[in-house]
Amino acid sequence: MSIEVNDIHFNYGKIKALDGVNLDLSQGAIGLLGPNGAGKSTLIRIMLGFLSPDRGEGRILGYDIKTEQEEIRRYVGYMPEDDCFIPELDAVSFTSYLGELSGMPRQEAMKRAHEALYYVGLEESRYRKVETYSGGMKQRLKLAQAIVHDPRLIFLDEPTSGLDPQGRTEILDLIMDISSKKDIQVLISSHILPDIELTCSYVVILNKGKLAAQGEISKLKEIRDLYELKIKGEAQGFLRKLEEMKCRLEETEDGLLKVYTPPGYNRQEFFRIAAEENVQLRHFVKSQSSLEDLFADAVGVD
Amino acid sequence: MTIKEKGYAHWDGEFLDKKFPWWPITRYGIKLTFRKKFFKLVFPMSLLPAVVFLAGIYVSERLEDFKFMFRDSVPFLQIDPAYFKTYLAESFMIFIMLITVIFCGAGLISDDLKHNALQLYFSRPLKKRDYFLGKTAVIVFFLFILTLVPGLIFIIMKLIFSGSFKFFLSYPWLPLSVIAYSVLVTAFFSFYTLFISSLSKNRRYVAILIFGIYVSSDIFRAIFYENFHNHYFSLLSISSNIQQVGAAIFNQKTPHPIHWILSLLVLTAICVLAWFVLKKKVRGVEIVK
Amino acid sequence: MKPIIETQHLSKWYGNVLGLSDVTLEIEPGITGILGPNGAGKSTFLKLITGQIKPNIGTCSIKGKRIWNNYPLFSFIGFCPEQDAFFDELTGWQFVTGLLRLHHYSSAEREDKAQKALEIVELVEDKDRVIKSYSRGMRQRLKFAQAIAHDPEIIVLDEPLNGLDPLGRRKIIRLIKSYKGEGRTIMVSSHVLPEIEAMTKRIILIHQGKIFAQGDIHYIRDLIETHPHIISIKCSDPRRLASNFIQEEFVLNVKFSSAEKTLLVETNNRDKFFSLIPSLSVKNNIEVEEITSPDDNLQAVFDYLVGK
Repeated sequence: MSIEVNDIHFNYGKIKALDGVNLDLSQGAIGLLGPNGAGKSTLIRIMLGFLSPDRGEGRILGYDIKTEQEEIRRYVGYMPEDDCFIPELDAVSFTSYLGELSGMPRQEAMKRAHEALYYVGLEESRYRKVETYSGGMKQRLKLAQAIVHDPRLIFLDEPTSGLDPQGRTEILDLIMDISSKKDIQVLISSHILPDIELTCSYVVILNKGKLAAQGEISKLKEIRDLYELKIKGEAQGFLRKLEEMKCRLEETEDGLLKVYTPPGYNRQEFFRIAAEENVQLRHFVKSQSSLEDLFADAVGVD
Repeated sequence: MTIKEKGYAHWDGEFLDKKFPWWPITRYGIKLTFRKKFFKLVFPMSLLPAVVFLAGIYVSERLEDFKFMFRDSVPFLQIDPAYFKTYLAESFMIFIMLITVIFCGAGLISDDLKHNALQLYFSRPLKKRDYFLGKTAVIVFFLFILTLVPGLIFIIMKLIFSGSFKFFLSYPWLPLSVIAYSVLVTAFFSFYTLFISSLSKNRRYVAILIFGIYVSSDIFRAIFYENFHNHYFSLLSISSNIQQVGAAIFNQKTPHPIHWILSLLVLTAICVLAWFVLKKKVRGVEIVK
Repeated sequence: MKPIIETQHLSKWYGNVLGLSDVTLEIEPGITGILGPNGAGKSTFLKLITGQIKPNIGTCSIKGKRIWNNYPLFSFIGFCPEQDAFFDELTGWQFVTGLLRLHHYSSAEREDKAQKALEIVELVEDKDRVIKSYSRGMRQRLKFAQAIAHDPEIIVLDEPLNGLDPLGRRKIIRLIKSYKGEGRTIMVSSHVLPEIEAMTKRIILIHQGKIFAQGDIHYIRDLIETHPHIISIKCSDPRRLASNFIQEEFVLNVKFSSAEKTLLVETNNRDKFFSLIPSLSVKNNIEVEEITSPDDNLQAVFDYLVGK
C-alpha cells in the first residue's frame, strides 16, 4: 500500500481544510480532483510531511506521516504548481543539487541529473541558466527534479498549467510513460479533467475537506442503455427502422445521434439495419457519463 | 549484447545516509558566491590586512635587523593581545566583514523566497534546521577566513618566527580568545544577514538594508552622543557593540566606559529576534496557499 | 450569415518581432475558438480586432466600420484579457462599476449592470472585498464579469478558463454557450483543446503569425490529405474482421492495438470503408462494440497542422 491515510483532520485556525479523509491507494496513476478550497493542496502537504495532521494517521510507502517525514520525502518526488527554481544555476547543477539534497552521492546525482534532463527532453538546453527558460521548459525542469532521485511515488501539482497544446501533450506523454512502470505510482492534482481522464486510471474527488468519491474511472463512469452514433448516407430508412424497434432517438446540434435502446436490444441490430439501408456508421460507442458529469455529481452541483 | 530500453529508466544507486545533509546547500552557496564578478575582486582585497599584520609579526621578530631604519624603539610592533584585537575587533575589519556578508549572504534566503524555492528544499529529506545550517555555513566559511583562520595563523607564525614558546606562555588564553571572538562575531553576522535576507524577496533591497542598518546604527550613536554625551548611546551601534565585546574578550580596555556585558546582551537580543523572525518567515511560505 | 468581423491583410510587428502576418478573414456570429502554440500571435490577433493596437498593414473592421481609433464601436465589444492584472486596491464592485462608467452609463444603470454581471459569475457575496484578497479563480471570474457587464455584441475572451477549478470551467463554458443563442459573436482562446471542442466546432488556428486553418474541425480534418484517417474498431474478433478487408485498396494500414480486441485501420477513403463495415459485421457474425475515429478531433488537427 503506497498511500494509506485514516481520518485525517487539519485546520488552519478556524478554517477546516480537511475533515476526516480516508484513502487507501495502491497502484497506477491517480487523479486528485476537487474544487478550489477542497483541501487538495493541504492533503498533498500532509502526505509529503510538510504539515502534521491535527488528527488521524497515515503511512506513505510504509512510513508514518507524523514521525518518518524525512524517509517519506526521500522516496517521494514532488512537482510543485508554481514556478520555482534556484537562480544562477544551470539546469544540470540545479537538478543534481536537488538530487544530492535527497541523499544521492554527488557523482551519482550528477549522472542521474543528465539522465533526467534527457528524459524530459531538455538535453539541448541543459547547460543554460534556469532563469532563461521558457514556461514550458521550466515545467519540464520541475518534472526532471521530481524524478532525479528515482522516487517510488510522485506528486504532480497542476503539471500542465500554462502550457500550450503541444507542451501539454508532451508532459502528459512523459507522465503516462512514468506511470506505466509498475513500481512507480503517480498522483496528479489538476483542474483540467481531460488531462486526468487521459493519464489516470483511478480518481479521488475531494469536496469541502471530505472525500466526495473515489474509484476506477472506468467503473465510476456509469454505462447506460444509450448509444452515440454518427451516420452518413440515407438516414431516413435507418432512423425509421430504429424507431420501429422502439428505440428513442435524439439528435444533438453537432450531428451526434443518441439512441436510447429498449431492454433486451441487441446492438448487432444497428449493423444489420445499417447494412440493409446502406448507411455508414462512422462513430459508434456505448455512452458513458463524462468525468466532468461525474465530478459535478460528486461535489453536488448541477 | 544489450540495448537501452526507451522510456523511463530507474536509478540503480544507493542513497547515502549523510551525516551532514545540509552540506550541498553550503557547497553551492560558496560556489555561487565565487561566481560573482565583483566578489572575485573584493575578496582578495579583504585579505590584505591579514597579510600586513602577518608581515608585522615577522618584522617584530626581526626588529634587530630593521633597527637601523628607526631611531627609537617602535612601540606598535609589540605583539600582544592588543595586536590581535587591533586586527580582529576594530571598525575597519568589522566593516570588511559587513561587505563580505553582503556578497555572500544577501541572496541566501531572499532568492529562495523570490523563486519559490523553499518548497523544492523542503520536499527533500531536509529539516528546517538543516536548511538554516547549510545557509549559515556559507557565511561562517567566509567570515572564518577573515577572522579565525588569520588569528590562529598569527599565533602559529609568531611561535615559528620566535622559535620559542615564550609568547604562548605569556598569553596562554589567547588562542581561546581568538576562537571565542571569531565564533561570536560570525554568529552575530550570520543571524543578522539571514534575518534581513528573509525580509525581502529582492536581494538588492536586502544588501541595502544590511549595509544601511549597520551604518545608520553608527550614525544614530554619533548623533545622540554628540547631543547628550552619554556613553550608553554606544549600545545603539552595531559596530561599537562588537568592539566593546571584542576588547573585553582580548582583555583590553573597552572603547566606551560602560560594561561590555550590556553590549553582549544587545547583540544576543538581535540574534534572538532574528531567530524568531526567520522561523516565522520560512514556515510561512510552506503553509500559505 | 453576414460577417461581423472582417480583416484585410492584417499584419503587426513589434520592432522586428513578428506578431501577425497577412491575415484576411471573416468571422460570423456564433462561437469561434482561437488556438495556437505560445507566441503564435493569438493575443496580437485578439488585440487587433478589439482595436487596442494599430496594425502595421491592413485593416480590421467590425460591422463594416474600421475599428482602429473608432471609439463608439468599443461599446459593442467586451474583452477579457489573458493577463492577471487589476487595480488591486479596488473592490470587485468598484472595479466593474468603474469600467462601466467609461461607457457613459448613468449611475443607476451602472449599478444595475454591475449587479447582473456579478450575479452571473457568482461574485455578489464578495463584491465589497478588495481584489487583492481574491483567489485566482475569483479574479478570473471578475475579469469575465467586466467583459460582459455592458452587454456587448462581441465578446472576446483570451484564456478565460485559466486558473479556474472544474466547476468554474463548467459554468463559464455553459455561459459562453448560452450567449451563442442570442446572436452574439464570441471569440475564445484556450490551450485546453477539449474545452474548445466543448464550446464550438468552429476554430481559427494561428501559427507563426498566420492563419493555418479556419472553419469546422471535421471539415478541416478532411482537408488534411497527408494524414490518412485512422479508425478504431473494437469487436469480438478483430483479426477475422481484418482478414475480410485486407485486400481492399483503400485500406493502407491495419494495426492490432495493445488495447483489448481493438483494431486500428488507416484508410484514405472513409466512405468506402464505412460502407463495408456493417455488412461485414453481419455476414461474418462479428459483434462490433465500438467504432471511433481517434484522429478526428481538435487535438489531431492541431498536431497535424502545427507539427511536432
